[in-house]
Amino acid sequence: MASKLSPWGACRSLTIRTRSILQHAERKATAAPFHMARRGMADNTTSREPPSGSDGALPPSMAGKASAEQPHTSPRPEQFAPNWLNAEAIARLEQVAAGEDMYDNEEGLKFGVLSQLPGKHDHLQKRYPEVLDQVTKLLMRDGKLSKAQRDMAFILNFLRTSSAPKVSPLRPLLPGAPPAHTLPLDPVAYLTLAIDSVAPLLRIRSMKGMAGGGQALEIPEPMAARQRRRVAVQWILDAVNKKKSKGSGRSMFAHKMAEEIIAVIEGRSSVWDRRQTVHKLGTAARANLNHPALLAKRK
Amino acid sequence: MAAANCWRCLGRPSTQRLLAPSSIPSFKNPTSVAAFTTSATFLAKDDNQERPIEAPGPGERKAFRKRIQLSNDNALKVSGLSELEAQQLVDPTAVGQMASLPTGLVDQLRTIEAFKPTQNWGLFRSPHMLVRKDTVDFLGDMTKRIANKETVRTVIEGERGVGKSMLGLQTMAAGFMNKMVVINIPEAQDLVEARTDYSYIPRTTPEQFSHPSYILKLLQALRSANEEVLSKEIIKLEHIHLPGNLSRNASLATLANVTKEPEFAWPVFNALWQELLQPGRPPIMFTLDGLSHIMRISDYRSPSFNLIHAHDFALTRLFVEALGGKTHFPNGAAIVGVMTKGNWLKDKSVEKALEQARAAQAELPIPERDAYYSKYDERVFEALKGVEVFDVKSISKLEARSLMEYWAASGVLRMRVDEKTVSERWTLAGNGVLGELERVSLYVSRL
Repeated sequence: MASKLSPWGACRSLTIRTRSILQHAERKATAAPFHMARRGMADNTTSREPPSGSDGALPPSMAGKASAEQPHTSPRPEQFAPNWLNAEAIARLEQVAAGEDMYDNEEGLKFGVLSQLPGKHDHLQKRYPEVLDQVTKLLMRDGKLSKAQRDMAFILNFLRTSSAPKVSPLRPLLPGAPPAHTLPLDPVAYLTLAIDSVAPLLRIRSMKGMAGGGQALEIPEPMAARQRRRVAVQWILDAVNKKKSKGSGRSMFAHKMAEEIIAVIEGRSSVWDRRQTVHKLGTAARANLNHPALLAKRK
Repeated sequence: MAAANCWRCLGRPSTQRLLAPSSIPSFKNPTSVAAFTTSATFLAKDDNQERPIEAPGPGERKAFRKRIQLSNDNALKVSGLSELEAQQLVDPTAVGQMASLPTGLVDQLRTIEAFKPTQNWGLFRSPHMLVRKDTVDFLGDMTKRIANKETVRTVIEGERGVGKSMLGLQTMAAGFMNKMVVINIPEAQDLVEARTDYSYIPRTTPEQFSHPSYILKLLQALRSANEEVLSKEIIKLEHIHLPGNLSRNASLATLANVTKEPEFAWPVFNALWQELLQPGRPPIMFTLDGLSHIMRISDYRSPSFNLIHAHDFALTRLFVEALGGKTHFPNGAAIVGVMTKGNWLKDKSVEKALEQARAAQAELPIPERDAYYSKYDERVFEALKGVEVFDVKSISKLEARSLMEYWAASGVLRMRVDEKTVSERWTLAGNGVLGELERVSLYVSRL
């Protein structure tokens, strides 16, 4: 362990590079030393439009012959790479030069105080996007997660390769949804949009015997996002199980499921009717919120 | 049927809404909102009677499972990449380049079933391939030797997912572009697992068998893929035993097309093979994927109810004799067997034979057989005698970068491609195992 009083610890973290590295240039020297690292492949649920000229410019290494040597972009070699680690180390050295202790500000901590403490349920990395994780586990039967994951991979692949959906104006999707033609290139967003759009806003809760005469009192209740998604997936699964068998073996179920997802986006799915029924019932049951039995219970 | 509720929220259409319908695209005409709906009765119909689920028709499932999709209209077009040329496959400076497959070549490769359903062709706009170092090493050497009318007998080996079948495909592409006659057996296990019909070939000792329907299909694929080369060659031998009447100056393409009957498939195929072995013909390329499958006793039974060895089938025998060096090719030939690791029954004979072939290639002392193992198959050693073993290795980071940039330009890989991400994925993929690189980069969920 490095002694806190010696400046050599800071010197050790200085790295010398003869040319600048691109990925470090964007990091600001003021960036927090610890931040929640997020995994590029899992967190990318935002859908972007493809570049306007969709032929796309060629990436640099493809344009010419791929050779090992790339010409230096910077005219003179830099002594230290301009990254936040070096900036921090240099700041420490300046602190020492000014006659202060190197770790003046951080009593008893080797690496300083974290600017933002991770919460109890925060993960350093999450393997899958949230919706994907939930839906995969809802597809699981008999505890066979691996099979569910394979099905999910097939579903995403199917969404990616089938042609862009034609959204029906009769069944509008979530406000602010990305344009339909960009959806296939982002299958996770495609799936999320389908599930979130068709998810009901509320559920009907039956309070036993509260309406008087042994009748149940029906009360609409809002649901959390995760609950809403769960209900939507259950409805979709119900619709899928009624479909005719397609293909064989391991991709049969996934194929039907993927087709249902597309049907949801295009407004053809019967799941929309279920949603409408629940919403109608919910609207009617709003009157029960002021039922005397319920008001009495609230007191 | 108009909805009484709004689709997005729980609001009901008010008079205000009805007067200003622009926010609800479906309600163009306010009068179209019905005063009453029948949806409640429509929805209330008896749902308990479930229709019986129909089973798919015969062959439908397999066709779905084995379908090959070579384009994806959703993926972005990557322009500016050159079309593949024969020279590019043998040029060491072309290592790491992506190239698109010309349409004609794609058709030829598709006809002989060089593309596999497990490969990811269906994710991209059009088929492209990476020229990797192994490609250039293997094909450079092969092309040079075939030009000298030598016979190249090679087994392509390597880890699972490293790109053995893909190298096989590139070999076939090189064969087509160099005007060779390319014959391909796409799945060797189809020949031994008793999935297709077989019949005894009369007057053969020891008794031999053929796969009539399979060989007919192979013959037709071979003719249509190699039409350009075959139609220039005129028959030289007598074929009086064949059906139909071939004229004296009929081309080899006509010969290959002479029958549509499975029972004559093998005699015609054999006649074509004999013609191709005549001096002055174009060189032959005979490839087979899943070599280890034909190095065992098959699941077929002879009339005396004994299991038939895979080498007693005429087609596999043809391949095995060519691979083992028993056939003389006066015009040069490439006989390439591709091993498979995905569904491989481990076999000690194959392992030992390849080990010995490797040692012979490196001029090391030949490893001896295990003295305590009695079930070595002598015919396997015979078939793999003197072959060269080509080990397909992992790709370098440079090649990985080129590939990932192509994926990103196609819009399939949605991340920045820089030194760090390439290195990360390369490491995740077992230091550049290509199949694993695809898995970690192209699929969000585990496949």
